[in-house]
Amino acid sequence: MRSTRPALGLGLGSIALLALTFLLTDLSAAQTPKRGGTLRVSYGNEIAHLDFHTAGGYEMMWVAMNVGCGLVNITPDGKFVGDVAESWQMSPDGLLYTFKLRKNALFHDGTQVDAAAVKFSIDRLMDPETKSGMRPFYAPVHSVEVIDPHTVQIRLKHPYAFFLHMLAGYRTGLVIYNPVATQKYTLQDRQQGKPEAVSGCGPFRLVEWVKGSHLVMDRFDKYFVPGLPYVDRVMIRVIKDPVTEMAAFKAGEIDFIASFSPEHVDTMKAQNPRARIMTGKETTPMMAAMKVTVPKDGIPMSVERAPHPIFGDLRVRKAIGCYGIDRKEIVKIAFKGQATPWVGMALPGTLESVNVNHLCPYDPAKAKAILAEVGYGPSKPLTFELLTNTEKSVFSVITTVIKEQMARIGVTANIRLVDKVSWLNSTLQDGPWDMYVEDLLSLLTIDSNGYLSTAYVSKNSSAWSHPRHTDTKVDDYYARYAREMDAGKRKALAKEFLEYMADKMYWNTISGSPFYMVAQPWVKGYVYNAEFEVHWDNVWLDK
Amino acid sequence: MRVYILRRLVQIVPTVLGITFVVFLMMRSIPGDPVVALLGDSYTQEDAVKAREVYGLNQPILVQYLIWLGKLLQGDWGASILTGRPVLQDVLVRLPVTLELIVLSMGVALVIAIPAAIIGALRQNTWADYTATTVAMIGVSIPEFFLGVLLLLAFSIGLGGVLPSSGWVYLPGTCPMMVCGVSLWGNMQHVLMPAFALGVGRAAILTRLLRASMLEVIRTEYVTTARAKGVTELKVVLKHALKNALIPTVTVMGLQVGFLIGGAIVVETLFAMPGLGTFGIDAIIARDYQQVQGFALLTAFAFVVINLVVDLSYTFLDPRIRYG
Repeated sequence: MRSTRPALGLGLGSIALLALTFLLTDLSAAQTPKRGGTLRVSYGNEIAHLDFHTAGGYEMMWVAMNVGCGLVNITPDGKFVGDVAESWQMSPDGLLYTFKLRKNALFHDGTQVDAAAVKFSIDRLMDPETKSGMRPFYAPVHSVEVIDPHTVQIRLKHPYAFFLHMLAGYRTGLVIYNPVATQKYTLQDRQQGKPEAVSGCGPFRLVEWVKGSHLVMDRFDKYFVPGLPYVDRVMIRVIKDPVTEMAAFKAGEIDFIASFSPEHVDTMKAQNPRARIMTGKETTPMMAAMKVTVPKDGIPMSVERAPHPIFGDLRVRKAIGCYGIDRKEIVKIAFKGQATPWVGMALPGTLESVNVNHLCPYDPAKAKAILAEVGYGPSKPLTFELLTNTEKSVFSVITTVIKEQMARIGVTANIRLVDKVSWLNSTLQDGPWDMYVEDLLSLLTIDSNGYLSTAYVSKNSSAWSHPRHTDTKVDDYYARYAREMDAGKRKALAKEFLEYMADKMYWNTISGSPFYMVAQPWVKGYVYNAEFEVHWDNVWLDK
Repeated sequence: MRVYILRRLVQIVPTVLGITFVVFLMMRSIPGDPVVALLGDSYTQEDAVKAREVYGLNQPILVQYLIWLGKLLQGDWGASILTGRPVLQDVLVRLPVTLELIVLSMGVALVIAIPAAIIGALRQNTWADYTATTVAMIGVSIPEFFLGVLLLLAFSIGLGGVLPSSGWVYLPGTCPMMVCGVSLWGNMQHVLMPAFALGVGRAAILTRLLRASMLEVIRTEYVTTARAKGVTELKVVLKHALKNALIPTVTVMGLQVGFLIGGAIVVETLFAMPGLGTFGIDAIIARDYQQVQGFALLTAFAFVVINLVVDLSYTFLDPRIRYG
């Protein structure tokens, strides 16, 4: 017995050790990224075109972030990390940024990514002829100077607190263009996705884009981060129908859904318990915008403005948009509770967001009283048109709930459902609309909201400032807020600004518009950062 | 015969042009402007005016149409307003997918319709006939998208993914791009559900029509004579009855091509197929006038040519028919 006990103990110990070794090996293997494979991504919408400086839409932006490279990126917790810039410095007065570039960064055609390319790209973005949607955000830039091939200095006209945010995460951020390829190929070549013309410096090089079919990008072997990317290929397909998208995911035909319809999240969870469903605090506002002014002379976009016959009166805007809308009920019905009822223009996920919900409590009695004070009532009923579009089914649900809520305060809202292009036509071109329901751009900071940054109607006004109010105080707020380098003072300004916007109802948010991405359990290494940063270089497939 | 064909071919020209003109007028009558989508985030009123000038959208509609027509006569189908890609190139890339879908859908329809109609006619007022007519009625009543979703749930999810839910694999030798899935088996797997979803409705219509024709034909004297002469029942049905009963069916088949093109838009969207249907609907939604014109031109041309082929096939089905 004596002789067997140690032997048994030794045996058991050996088995335990072996098991532990096996387990550790297995765990470490599971954590060690594997090279190779194709990441199959599905998009719900088409890519507009592939000139990254001018195309719109997230679908294009997510390609730009992987084919292109920039100076800096932003992490989910708001820290900046270098992309092509290995270090950077800001002068004490906040007017001069000096970026040191990596020496090993190459464009896909083999040419060096250098300071001249950075200057070329920013100059191109700032050129009105380029017609880039990013141009307004480069307005604070005075000049870009090449110090040496690997050092570039950007001089600002005035301090700009969000300069790095803008470079990293406003829409595409800065996408560095290859001067050689840009001059050699035409704009049309880039728009059509000719691979040689779309020569970026990101982890993947464009192989082929066939609109309506697929976009393929392959690993760039000379990418400046050694060992990345892990996957050999990213294949993007457009699957517009969410049911088909879910079926393809369930069948394992796709690995990653880049933007998943919120209405189907519960079904997705039920059907695919192992799927990784990613979301975060909302950054995109779902709006019930009201038109504040109309052209006095009847000519759209005229600088001569008159108050909108209904919503030109602040009291009516407050009665309808503030007290008359039950945001909680809308969220419960339209989003099954999976969104945040919100009044302010910056959502909970937006930097320096402030909750101003207390300014607009649902109070139908107060709404009715205000409308009566204005002169609306049974003898003079208020009727307005509620415009929305067919892009997302949730818009129609929200408009229907608003119509019902309006009926409760004796107001008639007539729903007009149009397609997206018709909606754009009405809103962008100062067309006749009263209120619309839509979700707009995802906001990293309050400053990244291009829709009101030049809100008053002038030669410099933005077509995207749909309500077309004429209050220059909004622009003053924007300027003061974006130029304030002291974080504490900026936060206070943001609060004041957001309260002002809610009080004047120039911007009427209903709630956040939730954003979801879905990945198969074997997709590892993806870091969720909402719509702002979608990078597949760290992704690997554990199959 | 040759004169007839020539005359019909000449008739195609005004028909197709008429259709493209109507489409041209309709596209410009609906609200929306491709320039809005083209300029996107950088939209300004000034740029919109300039862009309209560049693309000739500021011209009167008739002038725009004549410019398009003039270019078409030189073989230029124009370029997409949004991407700048040549329309002809895009259309040719998408055409094989839709063509295969339509041909196979019609194949599915015939494979179902012919036996069902024959059984229904020969066994009139029996359980077999009732089954055939009931199934036909159900087939007519189910919309393509609904049947498509049911098929997706059954074969892509329910049965462990025996058939792929979406996308496309090309037949060997037909890949029009750099990167394609190419395989005969893969192609069959991808086209089966869409073709079935699209074909079942057509099968139902053809079944009802062919059954009625067969009922009429099998009561004619020449069929009775054939039977009296001792011709086998199979030969009587297939050679004497079916061939003559097919004439109205073939006519309707030609007309059904139009429905198949319409149905392809729905089915291709549901199954995320890179065909002409999704191309057409995307073009309409984006108000990409040039692409819509290309789509209308090709589908109109296909429709009239197929109907010409149908008319010519009558001479084969019934030798008494002569064109002169």
